[in-house]
Amino acid sequence: MSLPPKLQEIVDDFASMTRQEKVESLIAYSESLPPLPERLQAERDKMDAVPECMTPVQLIAERQADNGIVFHFDIPPQSPTVRGLAAILANGLNGSQAEEILSVPADFFAPMNLEEAITQQRINGFIGVLAHMKQASLKLVTSK
Amino acid sequence: MSYAHPEYLVETDWVAAHSGDPKVRIIESDEDALLYATGHVPGAVQVDWFSTLQHPLRRDFLTKEKFEEVNSNLGIGNDTTVVFYGDKSNWFACYALWLFQYYGHKNVKIMNGGRAKWEQEKRPLVKDVPSYARTSYQAKEADSSIRAFRDEVLKQSSSKKPLVDVRSPKEYSGELISMPNYPQEGASRGGHIPGAVSIPWAQAVNEADSTFKSDEQLRALYEGKGVKPDGEVIAYCRIGERSSLTWFVLKYLLGYPKVKNYDGSWTEWGNLVNAPIEK
Repeated sequence: MSLPPKLQEIVDDFASMTRQEKVESLIAYSESLPPLPERLQAERDKMDAVPECMTPVQLIAERQADNGIVFHFDIPPQSPTVRGLAAILANGLNGSQAEEILSVPADFFAPMNLEEAITQQRINGFIGVLAHMKQASLKLVTSK
Repeated sequence: MSYAHPEYLVETDWVAAHSGDPKVRIIESDEDALLYATGHVPGAVQVDWFSTLQHPLRRDFLTKEKFEEVNSNLGIGNDTTVVFYGDKSNWFACYALWLFQYYGHKNVKIMNGGRAKWEQEKRPLVKDVPSYARTSYQAKEADSSIRAFRDEVLKQSSSKKPLVDVRSPKEYSGELISMPNYPQEGASRGGHIPGAVSIPWAQAVNEADSTFKSDEQLRALYEGKGVKPDGEVIAYCRIGERSSLTWFVLKYLLGYPKVKNYDGSWTEWGNLVNAPIEK
């Protein structure tokens, strides 16, 4: 199964980076994550009080006219790693169809060799954010 | 009244004034290790609780030899004053301080309020990573008086001595077992160690600026729950990081002489065959 081209491109980019470049790139992604649009502020759903060790990740998925899905995130600036991972996923998947998003394998990031830059525990954040995005996509297509 | 050992705590002002002091090394220790690279206190170096401070294979800390190497590389000498600060109200700063104590580095301090307060005060954050002349650091043998292992915890529980569970109320009650995004931090059973009292770590810090509460407030908090200065106290959480903050508070801010951190914590206890659990 191939990844959506934009996500594949990011994975390939990371695969060729040095450790330092990975760190800098993750920070750049983290800084590029736009704030939740004003019009969506009210929709921030009250997620379960996330156990304090975890970074609270708020996510809203919207369907466009062509059925492509766009994701908006709200993640505190004190959590650059999770912000960075979410921004990579948003950049790589925004505009994709639900089926494309649902078929992204949970270990798609393995070739990025992120463990050079951040610890395994943190990389697992990818699994969590991607799972969230899949759930939100599924909800959109099943609710019409 | 004041804290029992105020020399273990410094304010952001003190750190700002000593950021270039060769006798002082400032260390950032975060939950999110990327924060250091986004900007840190001028002159500060970084340790990561996982990649720097853990054993590469076993669930344990790095060895004494490795600890010596880490310190030597960071330019820390045996008489260097080491000041820790970090995100999340200094959880991992306290964890790193506890580990430094474990290997006998006595001259350690926490920057009150951590990264959050430094940022709130709009103090400078820089991206350049400093390097310091290598030292030949000599660690001491591990100090087991501040670290509890499971057999000891079992004894503590069965002899009804104080155990402090510093996790969130839902973790204590057992409603919540594992974190969806933290597969390594799961436990197969929920609940708490029999006899443990619930005093979530956050009650020891001021929410507004992450500084520690006053000695009167802290004394009322712990003594009010029956955790008294006489006798031994063991604190635990899920992996031992939040409880190292509570350990710091009890040991240095309140001066309890015998406090241990159980770093096995719930990820060990909640998976341990035959271990007693209360809900």
